[in-house]
Amino acid sequence: MPDNILNFSLADFFFNDNPDVLGAPADFEEWMAHPAVQKGFSFYEQVLLDAPRVSTKILSNLDGREHRIINLTSYNYLGLSTHPEVIAASKAALDKYGLGSSGAPLLSGTLDIHVEFARKLAEFKKKEDCLLYSSGLGANVGAIQGIMRKGDYLIMDEKCHKSLVDGGTLSGAKMLFFDHNDMDSLQMMLEKAKGKRTLVVVEGVYSMDGDLPKLPEILDLCDAYNAGSYIDEAHSTLIFGENGRGVAEHFGVEDRIGVSFGTLSKSFGGVGGFVCASKSLIRYLKGYSSAWNFSCAPSPAVTGGLMMALEVATRDSSLRDLLWANVSYMKERLDGMGLDLGGSESQVIPIIIGPSGEKLMGYAGAMQKRGLFLQPVDFPAVPAHARRFRISVSSQLSREEMDETLNIIEDVIVKGVL
Amino acid sequence: MTKDEIIEVIKVIIEDNLDDISAGDIDPRKSMKDYGANSLDIIEVVSCSMRELSIKVPRAELAELQNIEALADKFLEYKNA
Repeated sequence: MPDNILNFSLADFFFNDNPDVLGAPADFEEWMAHPAVQKGFSFYEQVLLDAPRVSTKILSNLDGREHRIINLTSYNYLGLSTHPEVIAASKAALDKYGLGSSGAPLLSGTLDIHVEFARKLAEFKKKEDCLLYSSGLGANVGAIQGIMRKGDYLIMDEKCHKSLVDGGTLSGAKMLFFDHNDMDSLQMMLEKAKGKRTLVVVEGVYSMDGDLPKLPEILDLCDAYNAGSYIDEAHSTLIFGENGRGVAEHFGVEDRIGVSFGTLSKSFGGVGGFVCASKSLIRYLKGYSSAWNFSCAPSPAVTGGLMMALEVATRDSSLRDLLWANVSYMKERLDGMGLDLGGSESQVIPIIIGPSGEKLMGYAGAMQKRGLFLQPVDFPAVPAHARRFRISVSSQLSREEMDETLNIIEDVIVKGVL
Repeated sequence: MTKDEIIEVIKVIIEDNLDDISAGDIDPRKSMKDYGANSLDIIEVVSCSMRELSIKVPRAELAELQNIEALADKFLEYKNA
């Protein structure tokens, strides 16, 4: 391994020359064994000893001890994973149906609560039908693979999630990426795909930047080029729009969206994914979306809890209002510290540190020692010149927790107290 | 190894990995994107080129390169190190 070992990252070991097909690349092992690399990785896979609330406990990899921390890394935006009504509904479903669905949805796995929940999600998203998946990643992979074919064109924003890219790879469609939120670049790609079956894929909230797509303009271009549209509302469902239906509602363009994807692991507080679309597309996907028809149907205990999560989050706007009040409070003060928050327009707030991985890890360690659990996001997950922290604001945050968080961030990142 | 030889290696690998382009038509002052490569294609071309040249350059050092020529310069730096 060369002297510049710390310039390497997970992006450098994907291709594997090890003659033993079950072995990792030799230089990967060497890289991972380096003390500085191990230190960087020590921030990951730290074990939570309690529920993923804002206030929780971890077993720290830094000192091997238990610590109570303020958790701004979990996606529990509305605190629904531990909401008492959600837990009660999940327990009731567990008592009635047991732990698993014991079958693929096409054969015996479909339970009445799956049908009811899918119907409610379709109504919520104002689409004709909905398909429930056991995993959010699986839903994107499965839906894209089910829709697209070799010879088709899949045009994605360059910042789209890996699950969408993997779905495209699996489908065999030609994939084109347009510059992030750049309409000229999107148009250039649409020109290349002219005359072909084309699907344009964007996200509701981009997960590493917290910004929104230029949805009305994107849909205008889709119309002009007769392309279909697919929106991944993983980080925006239950959060954006007057009724929480997502960024499409926020922009007033729900009826123009072809496929609306959502995950059930973020604001919903459970696990799984769903795809809402026309009846005919959903019927077709049931035959060809492998992540749906070759996977066991979602756990009924989770589905029961999720159905209540939808009810709690949409019966009024109180949780969303709390979240947005917290987002404003945090953003205003972080901005006042002169930090680079990128173009965040949502509850996902990056603090962009810059090119130094050493600085990023130094700050992460210092903040964690002070009781703030904020995971560093390193290259290749984000560009090498824009390594960052990513705050996931939650409705659960109290004023005291926000003030403590802000103090720690100011001391460590702004004043450099390590 | 010279820069021109490195450029030839990259050109052949681009030809192998992209549709409708032959090595002779590639201008190193252009970016692979100009020849229809997406980010996954670029990763493939870069990886195959490094394997062919028996070098390993961190991706973090490649992210800002603007064209094939700049990629060849970076490869040359490692090849001659």
